[in-house]
Amino acid sequence: MKIDKTDPRLREIKCATGFNWANLKAELRAIWAANIKDWKIELAYPVGFIRQLISPLVLLLPYLLYAFVLVGGRYSENLAQLVGNGDTFAFIFTGYMLMGFIGTAVWAMGFSIRRERWFGTLEAIYVTPTSRLSQVLGTALHSTIHQILGTVLQFVTIYFAFDLVLNIGGILPSLGIFALMMFALYGFGIVIAAISLILKEGWMVSDGLYSIMTILSPVAYPLTVLPSVFQQASNIIPTAPALVGMRSFLLPSYQPEAVTNVFLHLLVLGAVWILFGILVFHLTDGYVRKRGMLKKF
Amino acid sequence: MDSFYQQSTLRSNLSVVWNELVKNIKFLLAYPVIIVFWTIFPIFWHIPFILQGQALVGGLTSDSFAQATGTPNYIPFIVIGAVLNSYVSTLLNGMGDNIRRESLQGTLDYVLAAPCNKASVLVGKALSESISSTIFAISQFAISLLLFPISVSLGAMLPVFFIIILLILGLYGLSLVFAAFSLMYKQSHGFGQTVGYVFYIFSPVRYPVESLPFAAQIFGKLLPLTYAIIIVRSLMLLGADLSAVYMEVLALVIIDAILIVAGFLLFNYMEEKTKKTGEISHY
Repeated sequence: MKIDKTDPRLREIKCATGFNWANLKAELRAIWAANIKDWKIELAYPVGFIRQLISPLVLLLPYLLYAFVLVGGRYSENLAQLVGNGDTFAFIFTGYMLMGFIGTAVWAMGFSIRRERWFGTLEAIYVTPTSRLSQVLGTALHSTIHQILGTVLQFVTIYFAFDLVLNIGGILPSLGIFALMMFALYGFGIVIAAISLILKEGWMVSDGLYSIMTILSPVAYPLTVLPSVFQQASNIIPTAPALVGMRSFLLPSYQPEAVTNVFLHLLVLGAVWILFGILVFHLTDGYVRKRGMLKKF
Repeated sequence: MDSFYQQSTLRSNLSVVWNELVKNIKFLLAYPVIIVFWTIFPIFWHIPFILQGQALVGGLTSDSFAQATGTPNYIPFIVIGAVLNSYVSTLLNGMGDNIRRESLQGTLDYVLAAPCNKASVLVGKALSESISSTIFAISQFAISLLLFPISVSLGAMLPVFFIIILLILGLYGLSLVFAAFSLMYKQSHGFGQTVGYVFYIFSPVRYPVESLPFAAQIFGKLLPLTYAIIIVRSLMLLGADLSAVYMEVLALVIIDAILIVAGFLLFNYMEEKTKKTGEISHY
């Protein structure tokens, strides 16, 4: 059908371009729309939603039971020598709270564009006048909110069921550390999203990186039990300094196994990962469009 | 004539099983990265538990652990549990994913409309998944033997192999159920994940089943993985022979029989239902 450009019913809409307030508002709306879309899809499968919601709680239990069998109770003499606090449940719980957020970066963000490809909506999204990153960030927003809900459920259940002793006053600075960590994890997630655009079997890269991040993050053990080269490598993973920092505020008599300025460390990591992520995504996005790889999966 | 016909039917069914097996192995070999992934990365999943053990007990053995499990060495305990548990992740989702793949590739209608016994197709798929899972499990165990201080009695390998076959049969009963759901509801993965959680919590993968609350212990004892892990650890870590664990072997055989019969009945029911409703050609 030929479009008659003189038709008065047609009106020209100027797309906001460049770094300005109008464009930023438009992108924020796109992020919000992607977030809402993901919620609608998720809530269409209520059983899946509930399973995801309780998974932080379910997946924590083996760590606690294993610790209980290992030391014959909750208190570990050796852990107390390493970090000053021997309550294994409190130590593991404060570590495991952040595990799900690694999943946000690696799985939810990493596969946001890949999923659109499976649904057959990727090309439609690619021709809309918004940044592709808004789609990724919208999914990140949905996943973060979802994960926060699961973590709150986990926190309330474990805190009261096991009568944990935590510094409640440390919650506020811990939330600050959490926010900085998420900023850096988003950068990491953008890199994975870029990789998943190119690789047909991108889930293996995601799973591999998730496994490596899990080992390098001091979730159920202090960093000092890792070989020194892995301890050095953990410095570039946002979860490692974040966990040490959060435990410093939350666990009584905790002696941090790594002494750094956590806030500064996370700020630098956040800036580096975000810039690196945007650069890689921009390059990959151009590459796949040039090579006509969008239709392949 | 009858006997000729029967022989011919048997031969054609075996041919279907063989071709299905070859097709799936070819598919796997077309993606060598997947083979490397399943050989190496499951080891990464149990490293945090080994490091956790070192942080909490400060060594490679624990008296408390010995009281609860019969062995003070938590590393071989963890490795055996994790390697056997890897069958759960590959087999439980493997069959459902395989059917789903046929559906996505547009070949499911042809496979199901072919004039052959559908059980032969399923057996072929099951055999290929079992072979690949066993190769991955052996590789993971061999790498773990090199990486970690593990001493196990390798003389027990033959009975262990027999127990693994029983475990595979039980998991196939369950995966037939998933395959049946996959025919009807297309997404069996969520269901598989939920059951994966159940195995993760209620089976003695990382702790003895006795450390669970009583009700959870009963539930755990309905799972084939629980008996397989108990038997294999008894054979490899405690040096027991099969006669010492004959009750567990018997329980595993009974659970396998129930799951396989239930799986085949459900799959046949779902196949008929999806053919009638036309759901089979949707994806």
